Amino acid sequence: MSDESAEPREPGPLRLGKSEFAPAAKLIMAIVNRTPDSFYRPGVTWDHQKALERVHEVVAEGADILDVGGVPAKPGDEVTVAEEIRRTVPFIETVRAAYPGLVISVDTWRHEVGRAACEAGADLLNDTWGGWDPRLAEVAAEFGTGIVCSHAGGLPPRTRPFRIAYADVMADVLDHVLSLASKAVRAGVDPARIIIDPAHDFGKNSWQSLEITRRLGEMTAAGWPVLLSASHKDFVGETLGTSVDNRLAGTLAAIAVGAWLGARVFRVHNITETRQALEMVGAIRGDLTPARTVRGLA
Amino acid sequence: MIARAAVCPSPPLLARELTGRALVLPELREACATAVARLVEPAPDVVVVVGGGAATASWDPGDRLDLAAWAPALARAGGRGTPGLPLALGLGAMLLDAAGYAGPRVMQAVGEAAQPEKCLRLGAGLAAADPAARTAVLAVGDGSARRSPAAPGHFDERAGPFDLAVEQALRDGDMAAIAKIDPALAADLMATGRAAWQVLAGALDGGPAPVGEVLYADAPLGVGYFVAVLDHR
Repeated sequence: MSDESAEPREPGPLRLGKSEFAPAAKLIMAIVNRTPDSFYRPGVTWDHQKALERVHEVVAEGADILDVGGVPAKPGDEVTVAEEIRRTVPFIETVRAAYPGLVISVDTWRHEVGRAACEAGADLLNDTWGGWDPRLAEVAAEFGTGIVCSHAGGLPPRTRPFRIAYADVMADVLDHVLSLASKAVRAGVDPARIIIDPAHDFGKNSWQSLEITRRLGEMTAAGWPVLLSASHKDFVGETLGTSVDNRLAGTLAAIAVGAWLGARVFRVHNITETRQALEMVGAIRGDLTPARTVRGLA
Repeated sequence: MIARAAVCPSPPLLARELTGRALVLPELREACATAVARLVEPAPDVVVVVGGGAATASWDPGDRLDLAAWAPALARAGGRGTPGLPLALGLGAMLLDAAGYAGPRVMQAVGEAAQPEKCLRLGAGLAAADPAARTAVLAVGDGSARRSPAAPGHFDERAGPFDLAVEQALRDGDMAAIAKIDPALAADLMATGRAAWQVLAGALDGGPAPVGEVLYADAPLGVGYFVAVLDHR
């Protein structure tokens, strides 16, 4: 462990925007990408109006957080800062006006984009690329927003893992995300607004993503809210041998395991199915009362 | 003497905690609450709760239903009840608690397979235990669990007429008819209330003929539920 790592903490409430979520709450973060070329259903919310309709849908389905991204994770044509802002910020403004209480997250690694998004009303900076731009945490501190501290194995944004190896992938994840969390606190970010994320498939092959899923309990034990982002990712596809359009069952299985091990935020494409999986796990754990039970009790 | 008597059913789902977030069968719950409120309204000296169980036995007045036997998750939420307490007694105690009754109570289980004569004698003995006391009796048990294809015991065409006869006897205060219920037929039809009803018949025997009022008689989930109050003329 690096000496900058935060000590394990008692799980506390997670503050996002004006809302506060108890440690037992399971939050669904709905993905709405303002990109023409994201890996799952590319371009489906590229159009402003279609994206807004999707927001209405996910809110109606019970999403707690909206995650707006303007740059796909995979390598491709450059998306400049100006273009990323153009894709995400006016959209965030529109959503903020339509849903004053909705928690809005922006999926970006760039502090310039984070700043513009916060000015437009974003509540959370989802830094999937593991703190590549250290000034992003300063933006979170300045605006009083939250930040996701994730692990990408040290890879630059929009690059793929190439023969990446770890002596112990979970130890590396923990070392990195706890160090980022500690730095964020020192930068002035409210500790109750910090989330940690192992970032499945970012700087990890499928074996390594399976390992961090299996050992997610080691992350939740650190006390910071854990975000699980597995929806339709390649480790699901490689595990099941399925194309990107046939990964929902595998996604839900990973979510169920993560929920069982204490993850609190789930970044997904399918809201209703995720809600049901989370409720099922909650009832199995005894955290949630079933909807209606009469069988065998009449 | 028996001051007043009431009949209530014993589905576990009467315990509010067991049905999850949904309130199930509110009309049935309301009828039970009304019947028990009327049972304790004359301020009896003692309430005898009678319910079917594995064996005839007295239980402690402080015993309560162990909800965790039906929903283990509830063991973590609250304290455990009394292991092995018959369901009917536990629900009877719960209904008395809900009605705010805090006076003396007797918890009497009767073996569900006990023969009618034995049930009648047990009832007579309970009524005679303290001749000076004004005793209320709460008999807890159910009609047939074979009322419909979706019923726990599936459908038996004899179930409807069987339950209708019980309902009519309660309405008429006809304890002689209750005393004559065939235990073999009741067992066939999974009517778990038969023995408890016959204890009630024994308790009322020798007193003035009661007037019955049926507050609820239906089988919404395939099990016959009766809620009734038996009072003096």
